[in-house]
Amino acid sequence: MKLSRGMKRGFVGAAILSVVLIIIGLITSYFGSRYQIRLVYSTYVNLLVVLGLQVFMGNARITNLSHSAFMGIGAYAAAICVTPQNIKALSLPNAPWGLNAFSIDPISSALIAIAITGAVAFLVGLLIVRLSGIGATIVSLAFLVIVHTLFLYRTDIFKGNQAFFGIPQVFNLTSVVILAAIIVFAVRIFRESKVGVALRASADDEIGALSMGVDMYRLRLIAWVFSGMLLAVAGIAYAYFLGTISARPFYFNHVFLTLAMLIFGGMGTITGAVLGTFLISLGLEMVRWLETGPNILGVDLPEVLGLSGIALGAVIVFTMALRPRGIMGETEIEDLVLKN
Amino acid sequence: MEYVVQQIMNAFAFGAEYALLALGLAIVFSIMGLVNFAHGEMIAVGGYTMVAAAALAVQNPLIIIGAAIAVAMVASVSLERVAFRPVRYADPTTGLLTAFGVSIILQNIFLLVVSPRPIAVTSLYFLEWSLNIGGISVSSLQLFEAITTLLVIVLLMLFLKRTLLGLAMRAASLDFEMVRLSGVRANRVFAIAFMISGLLAGIACVFIMARRGAVDPHLGFDPVLKAFVACVVGGFGSLPGAVLGGFLLGAVEVAMLVMLPQNLGGMTDAFVFGIIALLLVWRPDGILSPPTEKGDKH
Repeated sequence: MKLSRGMKRGFVGAAILSVVLIIIGLITSYFGSRYQIRLVYSTYVNLLVVLGLQVFMGNARITNLSHSAFMGIGAYAAAICVTPQNIKALSLPNAPWGLNAFSIDPISSALIAIAITGAVAFLVGLLIVRLSGIGATIVSLAFLVIVHTLFLYRTDIFKGNQAFFGIPQVFNLTSVVILAAIIVFAVRIFRESKVGVALRASADDEIGALSMGVDMYRLRLIAWVFSGMLLAVAGIAYAYFLGTISARPFYFNHVFLTLAMLIFGGMGTITGAVLGTFLISLGLEMVRWLETGPNILGVDLPEVLGLSGIALGAVIVFTMALRPRGIMGETEIEDLVLKN
Repeated sequence: MEYVVQQIMNAFAFGAEYALLALGLAIVFSIMGLVNFAHGEMIAVGGYTMVAAAALAVQNPLIIIGAAIAVAMVASVSLERVAFRPVRYADPTTGLLTAFGVSIILQNIFLLVVSPRPIAVTSLYFLEWSLNIGGISVSSLQLFEAITTLLVIVLLMLFLKRTLLGLAMRAASLDFEMVRLSGVRANRVFAIAFMISGLLAGIACVFIMARRGAVDPHLGFDPVLKAFVACVVGGFGSLPGAVLGGFLLGAVEVAMLVMLPQNLGGMTDAFVFGIIALLLVWRPDGILSPPTEKGDKH
């Protein structure tokens, strides 16, 4: 099989990014404290989310605000499957459909969760892909709210704002680093694949692409479902590391955190997604430290709750005003290294 | 009979609120292509103005209402100057994300400067009493809301159809360049659009505050999400569509509240959005979407 030029370069770019990701992971696991490892882990989970988000937003160029909901569906589906019966009998005594009367191994649970999320994404996608860009964004927002209400009100299944505990902690930093490296390849291959190229073309020029025989709706649906499944993977990685989940992390704050990461780095490229995730995570950690009211050079700063929210909002606004395509624009990492 | 009339009044009042907000979103969108996520924060600004008025021991309810609406208008116009001017001619996604960022910033400023907790506002309770019309008791607040909304829609229509500036604004939604070439200042058109949008948010704020009696940083989120959905259903950018979508949403919501069993009470919104989604399957561009050909420069 002969690979296209874009695909070849894609492999180079994905390889470089994977190496960087693995090095960061290695450094953290050797030198990091427990707290730092947790922090880097959550950065990698967010990276998975941002990569999943990029698949749809970057290629179809439609803003999606429901990604945290898909992450939540994946996380809860896996958690319900994998949590041992005796714990579920305690935590979910009133679960319907015998949900508390079985438990299966982590890998099958993960596969089932991905399949369920994929199916949900497909059904929602049937509606989303036909809407104009703005309509799709609003409907995705409505979907986020629907899923969140479901999580909150079906306490017999999801435990709402209380912790869903007892999920086996089968993941560590190494597993998520490997996962991230693989997914970087997957999303880069998708970007350079026929589907990805045609989708980006239709985002550039809808009429032109349609007249060349591009079935935009089908391609959008493919990207949407693929994106949903990757988000499920992120949710599962989140649940399998922490061991407890609740509805709150799968809502607004997480939506705009990951959105800011993708936008800041540049949603058109995988390199942008990776760069944005790490820069925002780093910056946010500093802002959070300021938020607690630290003592700098003998000056006691006041506690300022909400500062991190303001900073994230400002990142989005300034990126849009000054560099709407993000830091990377359309430049992937190999464009900086390779000659043409 | 009384029950039916009350439910119809409910639907009308809900619909009026959504229609007011949806109109505010649609008027900005039709001219500038901006999906104004920060619209909800104008409601919160109005609410906090009422808190400030109470703190300053202002007693006169008319002054409080007037101040809330005026501050919402000023806030809306200043947002256009400060935040939305750099993205004025950008594509819709850029504008949408900017507005999203602005909304987050404002919410967190309320959280930081005022309080993350709800603050009670009691100055508008006087609007709510039970009215007896022909043996049927209805809420005065709902009546006020319905009448005000109808009045606002009529006035807005007169403004758009009968005044020169209104004509310019309608023209601007079709071909902005042409309007500028005819000597109308772009800045003025945008400012007026945001002023009207802020006015509508301020009026909606008065009724929301009278009903809720408290303001918190996320006050505007729920109603504006509904208004967005109303816009999408009605056809984004169409003013009649926004009104139609708003009232439709109000009717569906009250129908769901009446029909759903008690144990599904918390899921009303999920059902409402679900039904609306089915409408979009039938007409993806909304019911009254403006008839534009694909590829038309808008």
